Amino acid sequence: MNNIRNKYAIVGVGESKRSKNSGVTPLHLALDAARAAIADAGLEAKDIDGFMSYSEGDSCTPHQVATYLGVRPGVVKEIVGGGSSTELLIADAIGLIETGQAKTVLIYRAMNGRSGMRMGGGGWSTDLLQNAFDGGSFLIPYGAGSPGQWFGLFATRHMHLNGLTQEHLGHVCTSFYEHAQRNPNAFFHGKPLTLEDYMQTAHLSSPFTKHDFCLESDEANAIIVTSAERAKDGKSTPVKIMGMAARQTVSHAHYWKNLDEVASDYVAPELYKAAGISPEDIDVASIYDCFSWVVLRQLEAYGLAPKGEVGDFVAAGNLRLNGKLPTNTAGGMLSEGYTHGMNNVLEIVRQVRHEYAGTNRQVENCEIGICTGWAGPDIAGAMILSK
Amino acid sequence: MSEETKVKYEKPIPLKTMDNTPYWDAADRHELALQKCETCNSYNHPPGPSCSNCGSVDVVWKNHGSDIQGTVYSYVVSYRPFLPGFQNDIPLVIAVIELTDLPEVKIMGNILHGNAENVTIGTAVKMVWEDVTEDRAVPQWKLA
Ligand SMILES: [Zn+2]
Repeated sequence: MNNIRNKYAIVGVGESKRSKNSGVTPLHLALDAARAAIADAGLEAKDIDGFMSYSEGDSCTPHQVATYLGVRPGVVKEIVGGGSSTELLIADAIGLIETGQAKTVLIYRAMNGRSGMRMGGGGWSTDLLQNAFDGGSFLIPYGAGSPGQWFGLFATRHMHLNGLTQEHLGHVCTSFYEHAQRNPNAFFHGKPLTLEDYMQTAHLSSPFTKHDFCLESDEANAIIVTSAERAKDGKSTPVKIMGMAARQTVSHAHYWKNLDEVASDYVAPELYKAAGISPEDIDVASIYDCFSWVVLRQLEAYGLAPKGEVGDFVAAGNLRLNGKLPTNTAGGMLSEGYTHGMNNVLEIVRQVRHEYAGTNRQVENCEIGICTGWAGPDIAGAMILSK
Repeated sequence: MSEETKVKYEKPIPLKTMDNTPYWDAADRHELALQKCETCNSYNHPPGPSCSNCGSVDVVWKNHGSDIQGTVYSYVVSYRPFLPGFQNDIPLVIAVIELTDLPEVKIMGNILHGNAENVTIGTAVKMVWEDVTEDRAVPQWKLA
């Protein structure tokens, strides 16, 4: 990508209600989130001329969302994608705005992730599953049908090679659960987790307990991207995009050939180059957390903790609000809610805006935030945001 | 194989596709066949329509016989049957095995009859074939 540093901004964020059983279609959730983001930006629906979304066959189309907001946009785009797609679509939105195809783009993710189609699987024909995954006939006959098992294979090896322990995973979980206790909208608000409790919880699929899995929820989130120039006319505090990067790596996750590299390893140098900063400049983080271990691996990949000392870094409490790198400060996908990466985007925008100023949720003096996405070990995206 | 064994097998049976049939046909004969790229000399596992390393369509199948040794490259122990048919195999050890003679090839399987606590990264294993129907067999692993 050409140098787009600080030329674009996120000007609105919004969400629907979060629940275990929304009782409505993803389209209703998407419209609620879109209206909330539009209101947050101080815009009107007709100001949005691009609508984009990602899903895995469980959502509603951008065409529908635009239609029921009463808008006839120039651009509607939907992609099949997992948890790095927010960054990929923001990059697309920037491309559209750069080339004059759109001015203001709304990106959303809507899912009945708990009551509808669950990412964690269940209820599918196993023949269908074998066909659905590349190399599926080499996984499914062995009982390996869940992301917890696939990512566990990466985690076991990484932990073995790096001396990471179950306690280290536990520190990721307890830090995020602690944040959820300050967030009344978090799924696990009122359900604190101590390290002792964590260590007594049985494995579902080693090294993961139920606390290491993200929670599935019914929810939609939306964000609005426009040029920094245009953002000046808006009513919200724009959050500038300093840099972003996203990519695939050679090793397909399902090939299991190389469990030692992940796409984030390749995204990181591109990201810091684009943003013109280094990891030490980052004040607050939203790290994709479909599993606790994924956080540890990304802290290492993005240079956010000293190489080889990621475990000590989290054990020292550095992910907590008063630590060196407050992370997933709304509770993250482990304990706030799960919209395939998007709720963590909303939170980083709010932190960098200082929207929680004067409360016990605001990270003091935070100017620069990182937000990472992870669609699996083989595809990742990330962005750096500033006020 | 006995009638009893046949009706008892409730786990998914590997689907043969146009890209993987030589692998599963070999497995049915209790042999390991691997796809090799003649252009870049790398092995592709799982196999595909062309080389996943360089894109070449010049791929061939190599038979590696029945004596396959490996070590555990990584593993998980699953305490919940995420798929039907595995209820009686909990805790289920799912492992990725690095082949001793071809370390670039990693093959997923279950470690049969091995207590989970005996498995760690580096544990030596050997390939065995589980007959699951009259004419199908699934490569598996047991502690060497
Ligand atoms: Zn090749």
